[in-house]
Amino acid sequence: MIVDEDQVLIKRTLRGERKAYEELMRKYEKKIFSFVIRMVRNEDVAVDLTQDFFFKVYTVMDKYNFEYKFSTWAYRICYNLVIDHIRKNQAQVDSLDDESVSPHSLLASENVSKEDGFKNMAREETRDYVWQVVDQIPLKFRELILMRYIQDLKYEEIAEITSLPVGTVKNRIFKAKEILKKEMEKDGMLDG
Amino acid sequence: MACLTDEKILACGEGDLNAIEASRIRDHLLVCRACRLADARYRNLNRSLSRPVFSEPPAGMIPQIMQRLYPALPRYTSIIAAIAASLVFLITWIYVYFDFSRSSLVQALRLTADGTSGWLANIIKAISTVYNAAQAAYKAANALLNALLPAPMGTALLTGSVLAFSGLLAFLLLGPRRKRAHAEKS
Repeated sequence: MIVDEDQVLIKRTLRGERKAYEELMRKYEKKIFSFVIRMVRNEDVAVDLTQDFFFKVYTVMDKYNFEYKFSTWAYRICYNLVIDHIRKNQAQVDSLDDESVSPHSLLASENVSKEDGFKNMAREETRDYVWQVVDQIPLKFRELILMRYIQDLKYEEIAEITSLPVGTVKNRIFKAKEILKKEMEKDGMLDG
Repeated sequence: MACLTDEKILACGEGDLNAIEASRIRDHLLVCRACRLADARYRNLNRSLSRPVFSEPPAGMIPQIMQRLYPALPRYTSIIAAIAASLVFLITWIYVYFDFSRSSLVQALRLTADGTSGWLANIIKAISTVYNAAQAAYKAANALLNALLPAPMGTALLTGSVLAFSGLLAFLLLGPRRKRAHAEKS
């Protein structure tokens, strides 16, 4: 069994070292918070859920199995917390299966600037725009894109976290990219 | 070869195809401008996705979690102050409750102690010792106050001290709870 850096921190935390858990939180806070805020689209809720996540990880840490990767285990807890919240507050977040929402119309409604000159936008701006569109795509696609690119997980890990078959994960990510490409093409954003 | 589907282009970009299929797709891309454009667009999209825009969590988030996980322990000086305040409170309470002028309850306890067995007698002796100490402390304080100040001033001073110590005790006991409740609320 290979013990990685995270597992060393967990062992130290279980021995009662506060600093170790703080270090573990610092390592993951950005990825977790970015994932949560893009899922729930509300900063206050995202802060609460992120805090609940770290609290929960701490309280169930003694149940962690060192044969598995810590990140996959932790992301699964995070995913379940967020999905539970979304299910309880369905009205505030778009439905898990709602594909009727057009990212294009949502972006327009948020007054995202679409003046002339998009084609000449720098890569950074294209990237920012891509991520704004990601925020608007239906949840069942968004969650997988976020896990793949924000949390940097492999298809197999995403499948384990979401309890979906690997094939479904791949298909949904492909479908999400098709949606993103279409939306970006409308604005001529991908020709740079 | 017919034009490529988006799925094929993406799969090729992800390295999911076998060598033969990938080679066919590369050949097609060389001759088909439309598919080449689609491929370029997916590459551009993948490049943007691979450099995600992270959201910065609030700076105070981790300290708040740490406070929730590890509530602050009272400091050494606070513990000593709490013990001192408790002693003052206890002595005052004994004085008021047992009525020093007549001492009927303590005297009765002392009498009872003679006829009882081991542990109860020890408890009564302990109470008597605290009582004696309290009485002595009271007498000493009273003598000092009588010598230094007129009687009403001494009483006011004693009452003030008792109130101050009680306030300090309440602050020390309730302070950490209030902080925790505030942290959870915020």
